[in-house]
Amino acid sequence: MLRADNLVFAHPGQRTPYRFTLEARPGEVTAVSGASGSGKSTLLDLLAGFLQPASGSLDLDGLALLPLPPERRPVSLLLQADNLFEHLSASENVALGLPRDIDKASARERIAAALAEVGLSGFETQLAANLSGGQKQRVALARTLLRDRPVLLLDEPFSALDDETRRTTRDLVGELTRRHGWHTVLVSHHADDIAALASRHYRIVEGKLERV
Amino acid sequence: MPPALIVSLPLVGRDQGWGWPRQVAGILTMLTLPRRPIRVASAAILTLAIAALIAAVLWAILAAATDASGGSRIDIAHLLRMTALQAGLTMVLSLLVGTALAWALNRLRFFGRDLVVGLFAAAIVTPGMVVAFGLLSIWGRNGWINQIADTLFGITFDSPAYGLSGILLAHVVLDGAFAARILLARLDAIPQSRLKMGQSLGLSAWKRFALIDWPALRGSLPGLGAIIFLLAFTSFPIVLLLGGGPANQTLEVAIYTAVRLDFDLVGAVRLALTQIAVCSLVIVVASAFSPIPSALGRSVQPRWRDAAPVRALQWFTLALGAIGFALPLVSVLYDGLGAGLVRVLGQASFWWSTLTSISIGASSALLTLVLALVLALGRSAVEHRVARTVLNIPAYAYLAVPAVVLSLGFFLLVRASGVSVSLAAPIVVVIANSLLSLPFAIATLGPPLDAIMRTRGKLIRSLGLSGWHQFSRIEYPLLGRDIGLMLALAFCFSLGDLGVIALFGTQDFQTLPLLMYRALGSYKTNDAAAIAALLLIFTIAAFVGLPRLVERIAHAPRR
Repeated sequence: MLRADNLVFAHPGQRTPYRFTLEARPGEVTAVSGASGSGKSTLLDLLAGFLQPASGSLDLDGLALLPLPPERRPVSLLLQADNLFEHLSASENVALGLPRDIDKASARERIAAALAEVGLSGFETQLAANLSGGQKQRVALARTLLRDRPVLLLDEPFSALDDETRRTTRDLVGELTRRHGWHTVLVSHHADDIAALASRHYRIVEGKLERV
Repeated sequence: MPPALIVSLPLVGRDQGWGWPRQVAGILTMLTLPRRPIRVASAAILTLAIAALIAAVLWAILAAATDASGGSRIDIAHLLRMTALQAGLTMVLSLLVGTALAWALNRLRFFGRDLVVGLFAAAIVTPGMVVAFGLLSIWGRNGWINQIADTLFGITFDSPAYGLSGILLAHVVLDGAFAARILLARLDAIPQSRLKMGQSLGLSAWKRFALIDWPALRGSLPGLGAIIFLLAFTSFPIVLLLGGGPANQTLEVAIYTAVRLDFDLVGAVRLALTQIAVCSLVIVVASAFSPIPSALGRSVQPRWRDAAPVRALQWFTLALGAIGFALPLVSVLYDGLGAGLVRVLGQASFWWSTLTSISIGASSALLTLVLALVLALGRSAVEHRVARTVLNIPAYAYLAVPAVVLSLGFFLLVRASGVSVSLAAPIVVVIANSLLSLPFAIATLGPPLDAIMRTRGKLIRSLGLSGWHQFSRIEYPLLGRDIGLMLALAFCFSLGDLGVIALFGTQDFQTLPLLMYRALGSYKTNDAAAIAALLLIFTIAAFVGLPRLVERIAHAPRR
């Protein structure tokens, strides 16, 4: 279980600090909604380690996450855009999720398997710049598979996609979350995404998370 | 300490009793950027080393000023007035010409537009000596204009190529074209939505300029003007060739004359200190303005065209500008690739000078690349404003301590250390040329590196990429063209430099510009023309070819 307990944070000049308390279970999508500027992205930055709270605790199955820098947290990210490096191919982007000491043959094998799992077999050599929005998100998900981190943070990941792609990508996220037992936290202001995916739903109201 | 942004929260709330916990009022840490302690430390050490080098140069100059006995008869006040006058006039005229040319280019669609835009972009690297020589070919006493006038009408004109008018002409040709390219980029950046709105409102050409163009241009004019002022204030080869005597000397040329011809070290040191003081003042003022980019994107063909009479004016302006810039270069090629070329190619001194120029240019360019990469990578790894400013200080080294002053300082240092000047010369020239190119190199590599960190910093950090992995997989391929452009700029600056080599050059150690200057000094005009033509060809080839070559190499691992 991913558990954030009273994480307190304020941006410079912010009068009332955020106070976030949240629980996310394995194999489930926990959704967070709220108005623009309500603090949704700040919450994800706190969970990912890009921001350090003034107080509170954050742990995953008893492991304290706050002392860990972002690169050592058991967390993968999927943002609305800019998840890939456009000058690299799909497989090169996915390879960034592999350990550094892995040999080439098994790297190729694992990349192919990850791309197959997200439905992108045969796209290995395609430049990221030439992929569609949905394909880019799938490549980023393939990288997440290889990184094998138990927490997946999604920041409006479907916002830039058309309706059809949005549905299929959303289904893929739900399926991967269940299959791999991820603790997925989805930040979104789209009610249909939340309704389709989330087992648990919080809303940010006046800097605090309220269970819906 | 990790390269983290330390944000001190303002104390609002604490005294006003909003009840947020004390610990929030403490220090918060933002950890968006990957930790790169080696990059930051390397950049900091390099900054200190460059600062120490500049300090040593200034110390050598000050020590020489203190030790030197006797006076100097150099009229510094007059030189300062003349230098400021020509730099001020150059700035105003170049901005006017640049604005007019950018306006015309922004409106006109024609075949070969990219070539004209590229021609203006090349102004920044075109050696001043070559342009000065080209102007003499056109406007000199026996130049093309007088030859044509004499043949057709039997009259000749007084040459405007010497004195203040000649200096201004040469400066405006170079700096006007440079300004045109920068301002064109500003006009190209106007959002399409604003242009569509203006077009649908049926704005006249004048209203379009006043309401759409001018707001886009005016922000760049002060910073651009300051750079042009500094370039003209520290101009060396153009004033040396076209100044026509002491009356029109700049401080930079006066320093050279004092050291090389009059052996007046006291006067040279006083001039150097005056130069440093004025340049530093201009930099302080200029630093308040928006920076000028050195890497420019491709200019797009315009869609909204003005009415026919206005277009005629734009064609006239563009033709005048293109002829004004291109004609001196064409004349250099025409004169240089004629009779003198074979003679020059048969001289051993030419080949040695070419080899020296290319070796020094390549070494300077590579050293500049290393210095600029270390500084820019370090700077992009920190978010704290003060740390970023400190790591940017080396970029100002040249602007505060221009070529001839830097050379004078190195010259004094080398003399004081007891090392033979001829032995130290190649190393000093390479280091000096690198420092001179550094501001442009950092301005080229810094913004794209910052952009990578800004857009992908979180992703890179969350993926836990190592510093080397980040550079080899992400930054180097993306920077390919910028690295090429930077190498081309540094190579071309070094290739066309006369300021540094003028103090250190000997018969055995001379570059192409020095060989050309000496050929002119001994009235071997045909030799000088051939050298100028070859210098121009080398410069353009490097400026056009290097960015493409390096881009291809940088992207090679992807294919």
